[in-house]
Amino acid sequence: MNAVLLLMGLLVLSYLGSFLFTGRHGAGLPSGVEYVALGFLLGPGALNMVGGDMLASFEPVVQVALGWLAFAVGLDFGYAGDKRVRFGSLLMGTVGALFTGGAVAAATWGALRLFDLGATPTDRILLAGGVGAACSETTRHAVRWVVERQKARGPLAERLNEIAHADDLLPLLAVAVLFALKPTPDVVVPLALRDWPAITVGIGLLLGGGAALLVRSELKLDETWAVLFGVTLLAIGATARLALSTLTASFFLGMAMAALSKHGRELRGMVAPTERPVLLPALLLAGAHIDFHASPKLALLAAVAIGARLVAKVVLGWLLAAVSPVARKAGGLVGLSLMSSGALAISIGLAFALRFPGWVGDTVLVIAALSATFGEFVGPARLRRSLDAAGESDAAVEQSPEGASPA
Amino acid sequence: MSGGGGARKSVFQHATHAVLLAAFGALLFTVTRAVPEVNGGLWMITAIGFLLLAGTLTSELLAPLGLPHLTGYLIAGIASGPYVLNLVDEHTVKSLSPVNTLALALIALAGGAELDLATLRKGARGLGWAMLTQCLLVLILVTGVFLAARPFIPFARNLPFGALFGVALLWGALAVTRSPSATLGILSQTKAQGPLTNFTLGFVMASDVVVVLLVATVLGCVRPLIDPAASFSIESFKNLAHDMFGSVALGTTLGLFIAAYLKLVNRQMLVVLLVLGFGVSTVLEYLQFDTLLTFIVAGFIVRNMSSQGHKFVQYIEQTGTVVYVVFFATAGADLDVPLLKQLWPVALLMAGSRGLITFAASRMAGRLANDPPMLRKWAWSGLVSQAGLALGLAVLVAKEFPTFGPSFRALAIATVAVNEMVGPVLFKLALDRTGETSRVAAPSFSSIRPPPMPDQ
Repeated sequence: MNAVLLLMGLLVLSYLGSFLFTGRHGAGLPSGVEYVALGFLLGPGALNMVGGDMLASFEPVVQVALGWLAFAVGLDFGYAGDKRVRFGSLLMGTVGALFTGGAVAAATWGALRLFDLGATPTDRILLAGGVGAACSETTRHAVRWVVERQKARGPLAERLNEIAHADDLLPLLAVAVLFALKPTPDVVVPLALRDWPAITVGIGLLLGGGAALLVRSELKLDETWAVLFGVTLLAIGATARLALSTLTASFFLGMAMAALSKHGRELRGMVAPTERPVLLPALLLAGAHIDFHASPKLALLAAVAIGARLVAKVVLGWLLAAVSPVARKAGGLVGLSLMSSGALAISIGLAFALRFPGWVGDTVLVIAALSATFGEFVGPARLRRSLDAAGESDAAVEQSPEGASPA
Repeated sequence: MSGGGGARKSVFQHATHAVLLAAFGALLFTVTRAVPEVNGGLWMITAIGFLLLAGTLTSELLAPLGLPHLTGYLIAGIASGPYVLNLVDEHTVKSLSPVNTLALALIALAGGAELDLATLRKGARGLGWAMLTQCLLVLILVTGVFLAARPFIPFARNLPFGALFGVALLWGALAVTRSPSATLGILSQTKAQGPLTNFTLGFVMASDVVVVLLVATVLGCVRPLIDPAASFSIESFKNLAHDMFGSVALGTTLGLFIAAYLKLVNRQMLVVLLVLGFGVSTVLEYLQFDTLLTFIVAGFIVRNMSSQGHKFVQYIEQTGTVVYVVFFATAGADLDVPLLKQLWPVALLMAGSRGLITFAASRMAGRLANDPPMLRKWAWSGLVSQAGLALGLAVLVAKEFPTFGPSFRALAIATVAVNEMVGPVLFKLALDRTGETSRVAAPSFSSIRPPPMPDQ
């Protein structure tokens, strides 16, 4: 397959993705792992229709897609729909991400030591930290996906939706720190380790603040697009040149714009419809990068990481139940409702695969994809049950006496 | 921002734009100095991002002077480019050509879609006279100026008269070219409507076809003059006919497809435009058809052979600023400043004489066609700009005649640079003076719907 055909294919996929997103209830799985699977099938690991060289030549496209997604996530961070998420949900999302990511990273670190994998401690830290970051979030689309199908309304659906919208900050900060552990040798200015994450965040905030100032004045729509594309591409390019995390910089760019601009709501309205069309090609390319021979004992490492994530989510559910009566109604396994991971997790995996080519990056990507696939089996099903148990789903409302419609 | 109906900005807003432009530039400068080695395609992305911002901000800063946005984009490109600040290096500028191809495809589609057959019919007499006088007078008189300026043109000094006449004719043919992209860029900013707008659009788009034919004819005729061993060949005309008919046929098919899509599906048009822009441009390159002509015809068909024209124009306008900033800022970055510095006196002479001849030809055509006074006065203003088409022809001449071709191309680049800078300013001035610039505010944030969310 030549590069133009691949580009055409990606654009067509993006086109189809936009239809899936705008359908009545949306279509496809919340994590989008089916596109990762399709990418794997087309990639060097299976049919080899998209070869390794071509994947390398498409790296800029991938970086732009990842950056744009992170920008959209940043714009949307702390908001569920039009409303700001409550402080409790923000705290729960942040603590949940820290706890889940920490548990997964610790378990992966332990497994690496147990299996004696990793040539250097830095590699082990990168791998464990990368897997932890990729496994810590819950995809924002998961709750929406179930809620729309179940026609669910109520405090639990709202709380879980808010938590899913508020757990992206720490994983992306972790990525910035991890990327700083191995600075590029091309940098001619020596800097301390702690400076690199600060620079990553600083680039995002500087550009986001600048863009917010620009869109404060009454811009025409097409000029606003020029500013949005401009700052995002500049952030992606500048951080990529410094070998920093494009995801983190773009996320902070979006966050700063949403926070500092009086047009945050409108900006989200502009960017949200572009998310799905960009996401699907990115997932496809992520799938094509997957290499199941990335490291020895990969299956065991993945099992340990996913197992740790499962346990962490259950514990998180208990914590949620302890502070929220409505979560208590949903049962002891309510935490598993947040098992779905997706776009951001796979984006983190892919960012690692691009930044650390070889076993470290490839392993993080494979585990991120497997974790998203596993989450697809557990998360939505458990969420449905939790909403049923809390009496918030359509079926539950119909069964209850108050919900029965008059004849 | 400013332009067609845009609000006037305060001093504070302009100061903010200036500070932000400096900050974005400083960021890029710091990064390029921290990591001097360029990282392949990723740097192209940075360049596009920076040019988008720099172009948009520079055009805002220049707006109080009444200068068109295009001039701002060009200046931003020149300043960022390899010959001034080197924020965007030469390799990166060259690697932006696929983006430019896409931009040109969208510009040509927009151009075709702006051409209304009924309006063209109404102004057919004026357009016909203008085409005739502009082509003939510019070709003949600019050829004469080139011959007269021979002592100042290094590569022409020692040519025998026959060859010199051939080269001068080629220069004359090159002078006939206009710039559809600059015309559309100005119209996109000003949202102008009126007789001058209609005349300029119709003339510039139609002249694309005429110029391709004219240049092919001139090339065929001058070959024996320049190279005595060569003979007049009909083969090149056969190829030209093949290209022209092929382009029109493909453009018609493409236009019908777009019209059908708009009628039956009418969603995600921007993604469809991207697919068409990249895909069809690649096919056209393979078939060696004329990209500009194909897309102009496609846009024309959608506008005039279906009921989807206005819808299509609206979609195209959404891409407006992004496409024009990238296209013209890249053109600015690609401008060979040292060459312009070296050749500016001759370039100024050639550009100035072409401008005067264009003006005279326009006045003559206006009288012959009995055009309204406003058109007689200002019709020339939109015909001064030159850009990609002229440069493309210069490259063709350089390839066909390796002995003097590269020097010819260098002078063409310098002359086109002058016309590229001056032309849009003149056209915008004319649109403002004739009152055709729109005063209606363009769509802004209030037209955006919030994203659909589960809790809504």
